[in-house]
Amino acid sequence: MADYKILFTGSVCSGKTTAIRSLSDIETIDTDASVSDSAIRRKQKTTIAMDYGVLEMSDSSRLHLYGTPGQERFRFMWQLMMSDLVHDAQALVLLVDNTRNDPFKDIRFYLDEFRDYLVQRQLIIAVTHSDQQAHPDHAYYMNELKGMGIFTTVLFIDARYPDSVLEVVKSVLAEREPDLNWDELGQRLMAHRPPVIEEEEESSEAPVAAETSEPPEVKLFSAVSLMDAAMNTRGITGAMHLGADRKVLETNIGSMQNQAMLKTMVNLVAALEKKVAFLGHIDNLVLCGPEHETLSVFVEERQALGLCSEKELSLAVVKQQGQDLLQWSGE
Amino acid sequence: MKELLGQVDKAGVVESSCILQGAEISVSTFASRNHETVAKKAFSYVFQNVSKLRTKHDEAHLEIGGKRLSGFMLNGERVLICMSDKNTNVSLVREHIYLLKPKFEA
Ligand SMILES: Nc1nc2c(ncn2[C@@H]2O[C@H](COP(=O)(O)OP(=O)(O)OP(=O)(O)O)[C@@H](O)[C@H]2O)c(=O)[nH]1
Ligand SMILES: [Mg+2]
Repeated sequence: MADYKILFTGSVCSGKTTAIRSLSDIETIDTDASVSDSAIRRKQKTTIAMDYGVLEMSDSSRLHLYGTPGQERFRFMWQLMMSDLVHDAQALVLLVDNTRNDPFKDIRFYLDEFRDYLVQRQLIIAVTHSDQQAHPDHAYYMNELKGMGIFTTVLFIDARYPDSVLEVVKSVLAEREPDLNWDELGQRLMAHRPPVIEEEEESSEAPVAAETSEPPEVKLFSAVSLMDAAMNTRGITGAMHLGADRKVLETNIGSMQNQAMLKTMVNLVAALEKKVAFLGHIDNLVLCGPEHETLSVFVEERQALGLCSEKELSLAVVKQQGQDLLQWSGE
Repeated sequence: MKELLGQVDKAGVVESSCILQGAEISVSTFASRNHETVAKKAFSYVFQNVSKLRTKHDEAHLEIGGKRLSGFMLNGERVLICMSDKNTNVSLVREHIYLLKPKFEA
């Protein structure tokens, strides 16, 4: 019996749990809990430890599927998995959610996290949610990755469809399993496991949507404002949302002192952006001290975010949260 | 002071450093004038406002391009400024500076 292993990783909501559920012959072991805090009210459940499933590919070969938790606060699990359970996996599949503001930022982040792990392993980049957001397209990915010096397979999949996820497995194992009938396996999966399409929980209450050209998902995303997301993130006590012109769009920072300090920080950032752009993009400015809340400003072309965080939070966490939040507000 | 700055610069942690006294740089190991100037302008502005608004912050970090500029307030209206690669763990930089800070303030 040949046993193979594949590890799935990627940002929150990229479809790791769904992909594994699509393929697995056994009841998948997932450790999803309701999303309590943090940015992610867009979804109802998030994986807190890991996902595991098994696919009997043939009488003589079996595939073990593992998925990491997506949220940054469970990052210790990634290390644990890499050094133990999946130290002998054949491939890492990076799922990339195409609806994110900057999917390439995610790619950079995960490739950096898994750099050592990838030394002896195949990497597949699988783009999900492209039915909701078609751009960037395949050609764009290939070109951008080439620019980053990354030459690897990029597939567009829908994690809810078993035959679609199977394409990923095929590109990892086709050479190792030359006799396997992939089409037949795909048909078996589709027959026994209809696509995992979750229903909206409140759907019975919801009024019938008026006819618009916008797909319903888009509405769901924008219903969660950046401010809401920030206020549901661990350790964040206040937030300020700024536009492309670095003017305040919305703020809920209670303390006048913090409010004023954040504004001077934004002014500084705006001035630097004008004067020293040749040194590169200004990503963030953080102010901290043992006796005061941490204040930070995160900057992107189209918007910026000011945060007030508990001083106990590590700067690495503050930074990760700020960057994640900017990714979340799809506009 | 110059020898002390020599101890601040450490491979893999801090690339270059300088001391901001008021609004001017007193000693420096910066090779890049541009970064030094940005750090000077940014941190004198930030810490001026900190004292104006009395927020008690004593540390600032600015990420620009591939670099991180960090400013640590010292006694005597001075700021110790260090530049590191943006990918260097910021807590490494902080620990390194916290160890050296008493020497600067002695
Ligand atoms: N429209 C669409 N929905 C998808 C696709 N892939 C996954 N989904 C949906 O996206 C949602 C999130 O998927 P999950 O599998 O929970 O995401 P995850 O990566 O496990 O997230 P965490 O465990 O929180 O890190 C689910 O509702 C899926 O049905 C896709 O390609 N298109
Ligand atoms: Mg999951």
